[in-house]
Amino acid sequence: MIDELHEELASLYVLGLLEGDELARFEQRLAHDAALQRLVHDLRETTSQLAFTAPAAEPPPDLRARLLDRLDTAATWRAQRNLIAFRTPLWVAWAAAACLAIMCAWVGQLYVGSRFEAATLRDQQAVADFQLRSARNQLEAERIIANHQLSSMTEQLASLDRQLKAEGDLAKFKISTLVSLAGNTPQALAVAVWNPAKQEGVLTVEKLPALAADKDYQLWLVDPQYPIPVDGGVFTVDPATGEAHITFKANKPIKTVAKFAVSLERKGGVPKAEGPMVLLSQ
Amino acid sequence: MSALVTVWPAYLAEPAWGFVRVRMKPNPPEPSAEAAAATERAHFDAELLRRMGRSDREAFAQLYDRFSRPLFATALRVLGNATEAEDIVQDVFLALWEKAAAFDTTRGSAFAWAVTLTRNRAIDRVRMRKRRLEILATATTEDAGVQPADSGPDSADDLVAKEQAGAIRSAVAALPAEQQRAVELAFFSGLTQQEIAEKLREPLGTVKARIRRGLLRLRDTLGGRHD
Repeated sequence: MIDELHEELASLYVLGLLEGDELARFEQRLAHDAALQRLVHDLRETTSQLAFTAPAAEPPPDLRARLLDRLDTAATWRAQRNLIAFRTPLWVAWAAAACLAIMCAWVGQLYVGSRFEAATLRDQQAVADFQLRSARNQLEAERIIANHQLSSMTEQLASLDRQLKAEGDLAKFKISTLVSLAGNTPQALAVAVWNPAKQEGVLTVEKLPALAADKDYQLWLVDPQYPIPVDGGVFTVDPATGEAHITFKANKPIKTVAKFAVSLERKGGVPKAEGPMVLLSQ
Repeated sequence: MSALVTVWPAYLAEPAWGFVRVRMKPNPPEPSAEAAAATERAHFDAELLRRMGRSDREAFAQLYDRFSRPLFATALRVLGNATEAEDIVQDVFLALWEKAAAFDTTRGSAFAWAVTLTRNRAIDRVRMRKRRLEILATATTEDAGVQPADSGPDSADDLVAKEQAGAIRSAVAALPAEQQRAVELAFFSGLTQQEIAEKLREPLGTVKARIRRGLLRLRDTLGGRHD
């Protein structure tokens, strides 16, 4: 059973006279009320019949044919019709043309400007490329110089290393001062330095007495591994000053130099000391 | 068959406006038979729509023949302008063609759907163009919405249209005058409830009650469902 209120609402609903909350509430109830749905259905059918109360009127005779022609292109036809319905006044066309002209001028100006800008950018790019190439060349040069300097420094380091190594070797040198053993040469003095790595040495003497023509001074190296001193060679001194500076070698491999000794021997030296010992290391 | 049926044109050889023939004839036959015929016609219209949904142009042509006159008359009554009415009718038939596949018989008959589309679009246009007062001025010359028929020679179709309109108008004329006016304004004017009340210079509740009573009485007179 439908009350009068809802009959009234249904009547207004089918005529499209409900609005807002009233419409929303009615549709909410309608969705769940079968009797109300039936009433709305009947009233909608009834109101549709009111179309026949309008004065009789014939649509244009060609409307049917036109519609049939347009069925396949209904969408296109609608679009065209909408365009016609929204026909614009003449001034709008002139305004559009003016806008187009302004836009064309603006675009043209933009085009010219952009060409100039592009040329400028190209120049800037060329300069940048040149600067880049220069920078690369400079870097290459600096790299070569740096490599050279590195090689040089490496060499210097190697040299320094060798020097340091040599200096290290000095610690192994045997340096001895030789003093006189004869009373006739109390001022005589000698320094002997032996490099075991190179198996050679240096001897510097001062104030040794001048030699007779048939005599030589002979240097001896005392190595414990040998039963007798090893021959280090003969030398003479400056008759005026008694000085001499010689580089000497032993005639046998030397492991350790315990003493240096200088004896007075016949000219050319002897394999085993025979004459008097004139200098002996301390 | 009654005299009314014998003057129907060929394009309405199929079942057409059942309520016209069934309910409005001066001497209606047995209601059950007429109701069945009306239902059959509604089913035929629904079948035409279904065929249109499958792009059947012949079905569209048949539906146009059945619906175009009342739809055009309705649009013209609302708008008061033949060109605009033609525009609306074209729009409605194209909409029917495009939306035919979505037609749902449980929500009403095809004719009710078509009338609703036509009326709503016509009213929308009236409101959009703010010509309400102008249309109202026309409407008030014929409170019941019944205007003289065309003055030209009557064709078979004209006779049918006149018969149909006459039958419906008879049902409307049977309503109390205040209900007639309220229903007509509600259907054709596009006014709101309040505007109708102001137009009729009656309280809003009174106008609502008149519309309710008028529609229910028409329903009882014209018949019920057509599906």
